[in-house]
Amino acid sequence: MTLFQQDIRAAGAGTLRYPAPVTPTTARAGVSRAGGHHGEILQGVFVNGRKLRRGLVTLPCELMRVTATFTPSRSGGVAVRPAWCRKAAVAAQLTLAELGQPATGGTLTISSNITPSRGFGSSTADVTASIGAVLDATDRSLPHAVIASLAVAAEKASDSLMYGDRAVLFAHREGSLIEDLGACLMPIHVLGFGTSGDGHGVDTLAMPPARYTSWEIEAFRTLLGALRRAIRLRDADLLGRVATASAKLNQLHLPIPRFADILTVARNSRAVGVQVAHSGDVAGLLFAPTPSLSFCTDRAIRLLARLGIRETWQFRAGR
Amino acid sequence: LITMTAAALAGSVVDAIELPKIIQLRPNLHAAAFGLMKLLPARCMLDRAADRGELEPGSMVLETSSGTLGLGLAMVCRLRGYRLTIVGDPAIDVRLQEHLRQIGAAVEICQRPSAEGGYQRARLDRLAELRERHPRHYVPNQYGNADNPNSYGVVAELLAESIGSVDCLVGAVGSGGSTVGTSSYLRLITPGLHLVGVDTPGSVIFGHPDRPRQLRGLGNSLVPPNVKHREFDEVHWIGAAEAYHAARGLLARHCLFMGPTSGAAYLAADWWARNNPHAKVVVLMPDEGHRYRDTVYSEQWFHEAGFDSCSVTRAPTVVDRPEPGPSGWTSMSWRRRSLAEVLGGTVPT
Repeated sequence: MTLFQQDIRAAGAGTLRYPAPVTPTTARAGVSRAGGHHGEILQGVFVNGRKLRRGLVTLPCELMRVTATFTPSRSGGVAVRPAWCRKAAVAAQLTLAELGQPATGGTLTISSNITPSRGFGSSTADVTASIGAVLDATDRSLPHAVIASLAVAAEKASDSLMYGDRAVLFAHREGSLIEDLGACLMPIHVLGFGTSGDGHGVDTLAMPPARYTSWEIEAFRTLLGALRRAIRLRDADLLGRVATASAKLNQLHLPIPRFADILTVARNSRAVGVQVAHSGDVAGLLFAPTPSLSFCTDRAIRLLARLGIRETWQFRAGR
Repeated sequence: LITMTAAALAGSVVDAIELPKIIQLRPNLHAAAFGLMKLLPARCMLDRAADRGELEPGSMVLETSSGTLGLGLAMVCRLRGYRLTIVGDPAIDVRLQEHLRQIGAAVEICQRPSAEGGYQRARLDRLAELRERHPRHYVPNQYGNADNPNSYGVVAELLAESIGSVDCLVGAVGSGGSTVGTSSYLRLITPGLHLVGVDTPGSVIFGHPDRPRQLRGLGNSLVPPNVKHREFDEVHWIGAAEAYHAARGLLARHCLFMGPTSGAAYLAADWWARNNPHAKVVVLMPDEGHRYRDTVYSEQWFHEAGFDSCSVTRAPTVVDRPEPGPSGWTSMSWRRRSLAEVLGGTVPT
């Protein structure tokens, strides 16, 4: 492969597919992108037969992007830039092992605009993009379920980013699907903000998992029932109610500051709900994309400012 | 990705029938019609106890019941390998006693009511004796066990998925499990959900003076701890004649063959739904009509007992205190108050 062809690939410009490299000397760069997320619509414990499984439904966020580039080599091990993206390097190494070692190592470059540890899923996005880059470089593919298990092996817990914008209930500590909710989210407008004031997130994995009561465990199944309906019928209002209820239940375990005030802002700005990153400091007001949307979001921004929350951002999720 | 649900194969009859059918009766009125509602709390109370290590195969389960909880427990105990003794009173008809014994339960009948607390007290006293006799026992205690109301999470899940946001839930109150449990979960989605409890004259649950009740399957001569009075917005007291007519009306109008407790709940729900046409109403119907073929659904019995000629009211008499009214159907705005607040007449702040 010529340098020119590599560049085309790196830019992601073509749908051209080259045959799998016959020998490692023909190694070329593989590229993959992953989006981040904006915390959860629903997070809790779910009854699965007689088993209980921790799971979550992620709110994808297109503002957050990671691009991973992987160039295989015969050298031992994966070198990564920036050097602190260790989990991404581990993921690349695990992917090579899963594929039967088509290359023994390589160079991995991560380019990300995601702030770590605020709840945007930066770590899973790095890992997912890295796995994708290795697959692209080796012209191979793996099922979502295998990618998910590689991601969990690399980073202990993983979000469901490998499923793209499909709404799934994902066991983040097992790296496996609990339930496919059958479609992507309906169009929903998100006004995001940080709740901690200083923009410092939470080291999710250092925290013990929430211990839910038996009433709460049954409560999550009700929310899941409502969410199935919301997604099937594209009902943004019902989705918002589910997100708010999930945030309220988790507030008892991982409280976010001024939560009651944020609920009041949601009510007074006609938001359909409130969602939080149950493992970070990010939260969002959810709005149905109605003609009065900008009126509602402007009002919400003013009300949040009165709480001292001045940094906000907006994006559209679902389709 | 797997999205299709395969045709379900139930692992047991309990798995197959424990959930209600959700049936739309009118645009804003839905029934959650159970084959045997108490199967659900019976199964959950025993499974949770086993999860906690309080119950293992061969253990003795002891419970007092004169109704269908006994049947639910008997089915689960038989399938899970627990021994079961049910302490009942003469309200358990002979056929139900036979049915219970045929699936392996021991049935003890208290023949005389206690001076205070009626048969309920007599049954509890006998239960205390049995606990002494069987050291390795488990008493589900449906009146105080939190797993009873918690077992209705799966019903709320079903309702949330099939109906979405529910504005009003109507159900008969005996242990408090179904009404308090289901509403607590549905209110996660709809915090303003209006909860209507259906009781019967002479039941002390919502403050009537204790007296013998003709209508069984709802009401109580003790106030169960699982009845959380502050969850209720409205209470109806419905007598036997009204309940029997309503059950027969439900069959005649909707071909739904349910017991008189379901009839009472349907009567209140139907009235409420007509008066609130824009609200989505769900009524819990706890069991089917088979046990009442020789009574409520027998033309001869209905006539001889005088129910076909008695007049029944079409709307409740609204009362402001929990006292027996002039008709067989009264209602009261409860406004999420405690029993003490209502009996003391204090207004919540």
